[in-house]
Amino acid sequence: MKKSMICELLGIEYPIFQGAMAWVAEATLASSVSEAGGLGIIASGHAPKEFVHKQIQKAKQLTNKPFGVNIMLMSPHVEDIVDLVCEEKIKVITTGAGSPAKYMQKFKEAGIIVIPVVASVALARRMEKDGADAVVVEGMEGGGHIGKSTTMTLVPQVVDAVTIPVIAAGGIGDGRGVAAAMLLGAEAVQLGTRFLISKECTAHENYKQAVLKAKDIDTDVTGLLTGHPVRGLRNKLTRTYLKAEREEGGKAEPNWDRLEDLGNGALKRAVVDGDTQNSSMMSGQIAGMFKQENQTCSDIIQELMTGWEDQLNQSTLKWMER
Amino acid sequence: MTTFEKIQSLIVDQLGKEEAEVQATTSFREDLEADSLDIFQIMNDIEDEFDVQLETDEGLSTVQDLVNYVEAQLNNK
Repeated sequence: MKKSMICELLGIEYPIFQGAMAWVAEATLASSVSEAGGLGIIASGHAPKEFVHKQIQKAKQLTNKPFGVNIMLMSPHVEDIVDLVCEEKIKVITTGAGSPAKYMQKFKEAGIIVIPVVASVALARRMEKDGADAVVVEGMEGGGHIGKSTTMTLVPQVVDAVTIPVIAAGGIGDGRGVAAAMLLGAEAVQLGTRFLISKECTAHENYKQAVLKAKDIDTDVTGLLTGHPVRGLRNKLTRTYLKAEREEGGKAEPNWDRLEDLGNGALKRAVVDGDTQNSSMMSGQIAGMFKQENQTCSDIIQELMTGWEDQLNQSTLKWMER
Repeated sequence: MTTFEKIQSLIVDQLGKEEAEVQATTSFREDLEADSLDIFQIMNDIEDEFDVQLETDEGLSTVQDLVNYVEAQLNNK
């Protein structure tokens, strides 16, 4: 199969990115995905510089292949992380939660490939204008922090609006999803939840099992009222949170701090402690498709690539035959 | 049409608000409850309408801040 432009740009074998999941996407997972020929990405989340630095060092020991770092622009440590990726000469960064425009010159001077994650055509256009090399377009089927539009609707609209490569994310779980994303005009795909349940992922086994048990309707979106929607598996915390959202939303003077208190530390409780009830088990809607545990990142990537090729050879054309 | 009126019209269109709700002192986040996707859309619309460049972190919180910023850009052209 011919390599896509994005593979050439990044020096990777397959057009498969691993989504940056805070607490989950650390050096072990990112380096495993990169070793398997995709693009592993370390999620910096809200972590301080020292933690991210250790992860980068560890990933460099585990793989000689390119890997990325995701910078959460709302992190209190964002300035430090920007300096760190420049000092460490990270080949590629993705960014989340806004626009990285103010850091763009610094990234470019350090020779870093910049790929912002966007959830609208307007933001994609701005990013292209500000010098982004590509954009990850993430639909609301995805897990974690999401936008309003679906992958199916957003990807082709962004593809039409920009000239830089588009990486599709949100709702992609197997070769059929990869084929669909490519037909919509994407040059690569990004998957989070699928890699969360991989053998190499160090997230707590309880969290992985909850994803494996999930059905198609088992995620909830919290935070819609406060403008920061998050998708995760339904549990005691999401039910409490949604109830609190309804109650506070109906008040003349809502106490949004109540929601913040509920969310504090909730992701760590899922990933590190294995608490499946009072935690935020971020997950995409595609979780319902996953039944196979302990697959290696390499097996996952090979399966995605084979599945994609099979789809292109078979089902896309079969309805057109007369 | 003044700069304010043009910007007011773009905001009204994007957010589905009444003109009376979009005044000079109106705050984007607190009064209009605009999320980040809305704000990026409005910024793009303004750039297209006025042929100016808006940076993404100019600290613009009210409609008047935005009007002042766009007028300064227009005067520098």
